[in-house]
Amino acid sequence: MSLYPLQLEIALAVMALLVLIREALRPVGNGRALGLGLAALVLGLLAYSFTMDPVEGALYSGMYRLDGFALFSKRLFLLALALALALAAEFAPRLDGGWSEQYVITLLAAVGMLLIGSVNDFALLFVALELVTISFYVLTSYLRRQLPSLEAGTKYLIIGALSGSLTMYGIAYLFGATGTTNLDQVALALRNQGGAGGIFLFGMVLVLAGLSFKLAAFPGQMWAPDVYQGAPAPVTAFLAVGSKAAGFVLLVRLLYTGFLGAHHIWGPLLLWLAAITLLYGNLGALYQHNLKRLLGYSSIAHAGYLLLGAAAFNIIGVSALLFYLVQYACTVMCAFLAIVALGRATGSEDLDACAGLHRRSPLLAAALVISMLSLAGLPPLSGFFGKLLLLLGLFEKVELWNSYMIVAILASAGVVASFYYYFGVARAVYLDQGHSAEPIALTGATRLGLVLCIGAILFLGIYQRPLFDAAVNAALVLAPR
Amino acid sequence: MENWLLLALLAPLLGAVAVWAAGEGMARKLAALAAALSLAAALALWGGFDPQASGPQFRIFVEWVPQLGIDLSLGVDGISLPLIALTGLVGLAAVLAPAPEARPKTYYSSLLLLLGAAMGAFASLNIFFFYFFCELATLPKFLLVGIWGSDRGRSRKEAAMHLTLYITAGAMAALVGLVYLFAVTGENFDLARLQAYSGAHPLPEAIQIWIFGILMLGFGVWASMWPFHTWAPVAYGAAPTAANMLFAGVLKNLGAYGLIRIGLTLLPLGARYWADCLAILAAINILYAGWVALRQQDWHQLIAYSTVSHAGYLLLGIAALNVVGVSGAVLMMFAHGVLIALIFALLGAVGAQGKRIGDFGGIARVAPFLGVCTGMAFMAASGMAGFANFASEVMVFIGSWQAQSTALRFGTVAAVWGLVLGATYMLRALRTGFYGEPSGPAVADPPMPARVPYAVLLAVLLLFGFFPGLLTGPIQRAVAPICQLIPAKMAAAEGAAPRKDHHQIAAHAAQANE
Repeated sequence: MSLYPLQLEIALAVMALLVLIREALRPVGNGRALGLGLAALVLGLLAYSFTMDPVEGALYSGMYRLDGFALFSKRLFLLALALALALAAEFAPRLDGGWSEQYVITLLAAVGMLLIGSVNDFALLFVALELVTISFYVLTSYLRRQLPSLEAGTKYLIIGALSGSLTMYGIAYLFGATGTTNLDQVALALRNQGGAGGIFLFGMVLVLAGLSFKLAAFPGQMWAPDVYQGAPAPVTAFLAVGSKAAGFVLLVRLLYTGFLGAHHIWGPLLLWLAAITLLYGNLGALYQHNLKRLLGYSSIAHAGYLLLGAAAFNIIGVSALLFYLVQYACTVMCAFLAIVALGRATGSEDLDACAGLHRRSPLLAAALVISMLSLAGLPPLSGFFGKLLLLLGLFEKVELWNSYMIVAILASAGVVASFYYYFGVARAVYLDQGHSAEPIALTGATRLGLVLCIGAILFLGIYQRPLFDAAVNAALVLAPR
Repeated sequence: MENWLLLALLAPLLGAVAVWAAGEGMARKLAALAAALSLAAALALWGGFDPQASGPQFRIFVEWVPQLGIDLSLGVDGISLPLIALTGLVGLAAVLAPAPEARPKTYYSSLLLLLGAAMGAFASLNIFFFYFFCELATLPKFLLVGIWGSDRGRSRKEAAMHLTLYITAGAMAALVGLVYLFAVTGENFDLARLQAYSGAHPLPEAIQIWIFGILMLGFGVWASMWPFHTWAPVAYGAAPTAANMLFAGVLKNLGAYGLIRIGLTLLPLGARYWADCLAILAAINILYAGWVALRQQDWHQLIAYSTVSHAGYLLLGIAALNVVGVSGAVLMMFAHGVLIALIFALLGAVGAQGKRIGDFGGIARVAPFLGVCTGMAFMAASGMAGFANFASEVMVFIGSWQAQSTALRFGTVAAVWGLVLGATYMLRALRTGFYGEPSGPAVADPPMPARVPYAVLLAVLLLFGFFPGLLTGPIQRAVAPICQLIPAKMAAAEGAAPRKDHHQIAAHAAQANE
C-alpha cells in the first residue's frame, strides 16, 4: 500500500505539527512572517500538485479516490488555504495571542478538506467533515475577548453539532437500506434493488440537510450572517471559500456516486432549495451595513447559484460549479483582503468606513469594487462567466414553463436584486464623500495580494478557456458509468 | 483592413487603461487621441467597405471557448457600418465636449470604456461577446451619472442606482432569452452558425415566441420602450453632457440593434407573432412620451422625453418586418443618434442642465452660432426635410404602412401625429429659449476650434439628408436577407384563412341548397 496518493494531506499535517513543535520550543512574536512563509509553502505544494496524476479506481479498501475530480478539488482547497494563510498573516497583529495555533488549526481544517475531495466512503466522509467543522468551531471564536466572536463561535457550534448529528443519523439509515458505507457499493445496491426505497430516501434527505449547513444553503443557512460578521475576517474568508467549496465538492461526489440512482428525487429537491436559498440570500443582503454581514448573506445567495449547477444534473452543470468555486475563491479572498486592510486602517468593517475610499487608497477601492462587481456577475469579471455557465447548465433541462424555467427566471430576478447591494458598495466607495481623506497605507503583502487577486478575477473573466477546460475534464470523471 | 476594425475597438479600451495609468494633466489629451484614432479607423472601414458584397466584411476570428461556441468573432455589415461610424463620431464629440473639473482620470476612462463597449457590441458576430460588451458599459454609466451628474430634481446617486438596476433588469431578461436560444439551437453562440442551424432545423413556434418575447422585454428596456422607459428621463436628467451624448446617441441603440441582429434574424416566427404588439407599444411610446414632453419645463427632461418618443419610431420600423421599415429603423439609429448627441452638446454649451426652459431667452441674439445650430437641430428633430432624420422617418412610415396590418397602420397614423406633437414642443422650446429678448444666465458662443464638433455633426445630418442613398444602399443589402426569413405576415395569413372559410361556408351553403 503506497502513501503516494495521500502525500498532499500528509505534507499539510506535517507542516501543522512542525509549527506546533516550533511554538513549544521557541514562541513566535505576532507570527506574521510565519503565516506568509506557510502561505508560500502551500503555494509551492499547489504547484507541485500539478505534477501528480490521477489514480484509477478506489484505494485503501475502497475508502479513497484520487481521480481527476479529487485532484481538481485538492488544488482548489490548496489555493484557498494559501490565500487564507496570507490573510491570517495580515490579520495577525490584531490578535492578542495564539498566533501559531491559528495557522495550525487552519492547516488541519485544510487536511480535512483535502480528504473530503477524495471521499469514497461514508465513514471517511464523516471523519473528514468533522475535522473541518471542529477546526472551525475553534477558529470562529478565536477573538476570545470579543463578544461578537464568541457569539459567532457558539452559534456555529450549536448548529454545526446539530447538522453533524443529522448527517450521522442519515448515514445510519443509508447503511440500513443498503448494508454498506462504501459509495460505490451503495450505488450498486441501489441498482440491484431497482431504485431507492423510503428508508434510503429518508437517509439521503437527512444527509443533504446536514450538508446544507456546510454549504450555507437553505435549510442550514441561518448561522451564516451572524458567524460571518462575528468571526475574525480571515476565518470568515476561509469559511466562505474553503468550507463552502468542501461542502459542494462533497455534495457533487455523493450525488454522482451513492445517490446517483435517486437523481429524479434530488434533482427537483435541490432545484427548489436553490431557488429558496438564492432569494433568501439576495433579499436579506439588500439593507445590510456591515460588509462581513453583507458577504454572509451574499454567500447564502451564492450557495443558491451553485446548487443550480448540482441540480442541473449534467456535465456542464458540474463544470460550471467547479469553475464558479475557483473564481469565487479569488473574488471572495480579494474582498476579504480589502476588508482586513480597511479594518486595520479605520477600525471598522461597515459600509460607512468605505465612504470616499477612492481618495484614501485607489488600489483598495478598486479591489473592493471589482470583487463586489465580480460577485454581482458583471463582465469582464470572472463572476459573469461563472453565472453564465450555471445558467447554461440549467437551461439544458428547460422546456416551456417547466420548473427549471421558473427557477431560472427566479435566479435572474435574484441577480437583479443583488446588483442593488453590490452597487451599494460601489456607491459608497466611488460616489460618497467620506469624513476623512487621510491616505491609507497598505503593507507590501496586502498590495501584492490585491493585485494578484484582481489579476486573477480579470484573467478568469476574459480568458476563461484554461480553467473551463480543467473543470470540464474534472467533471467528466463523474459522468455516469 | 481587419486591423482597422481592431483599432476602432482597441483604441478606446486601451486608451481607458492608459488614461487611468497616466497623470491627470494628460487625461484629456490621451482620451481625445484614443477617440480620434477610433473615429479614423471607423472612417477607414467605411472607405474600404464594399457596398456590393453580401455578408459581414473585415472578419476577425479568434477561438475563445470552442466547446460552447464562444469565439471572438468580429465583422462589419451594412447594419453595423453606420452604427460603428456613429459610435466613432459621437465618441470623439463627447470626449471633446466641455468636461467637469473633478477627477479627470476616472471621467475620461469611463467615457472611453463606454465608447469601446459600444464599438465591440456593434462589431460582434458572436452573441456572447455582444452581451459581454453591452454589459461592459454598466459600471462607466453608473460612475458618470453618480459622480458628475446634476443633483437638480433627484439626487445623482439615486439616479445612478436607478439607471443601473433598470438596465440590469433588462440585461438579465435578455440573457435568459439568449441562454435559452443557446440551449435549443445546438449549444452555440456564433451568429452565422446559429443562423445556419435555425435555417436547417426551424425552432418550434412556441419557443420562438417565448424567446422573442423575453428578448423584446430585455432589449426594450435598453431602447426605452414604454412602459419600461422610466429610467431614461431620470438618467438623462442627471447625467453630464458627454455621458448623455453617448447614452442617448449610441448606447440606447443597442437594444434595437439586438432586436434586429438576434431577434429578427434567428426568430422569424417569434418576430411575426410579436410584431403587432410591438407596433402598439411603439405607438404608445410616440404619443405618450410626446404628450409628456409637451408638459416639461426642464430642458433635459424635454429632450429625454423626445428621445423616448423617438424610440417609438425605431420600434415601429422594426415591427414593420419589411426591408423599407427595418432599413428606416437602422438609418434612424444613425440619424437620431447624431442629432441627439448634437442637441445634448448644444444644451451643455448653453448650460441648460437643471434649468427651466423659461429661465433663458433670446440666446440666439447673444450667441448666434449656438442659436443657429440649435435652431437647425430642433428643426431636424421636428422632422424637417433636408435632414437625415426626415429620410429615416419617411422610410419608417412607408415600411409600416406597407406592412398590411391594422396595428401597424394604427402605429403609422400615431407616428405621423407624433411628428406634430414633436414639432410643437421642440419649436415652442426654441421660441422661448432662443428668440425674443435676451434674459437669464449669460451665454456666449464657444471659441472657434470648439465650434468644429457641432458643425461636423450638423454637416453629417445634412449630408445624409440630401444623399440618404449613401447609407440606405448598404443597409438595405444587409437587411433584405433578414426580412426574407420572415414568413408572410399575420395579416396575410389571416386574410387567407377567412377566405378559405368563406369558400367552405359557400360550399356548405351550395350543398345545403342542392
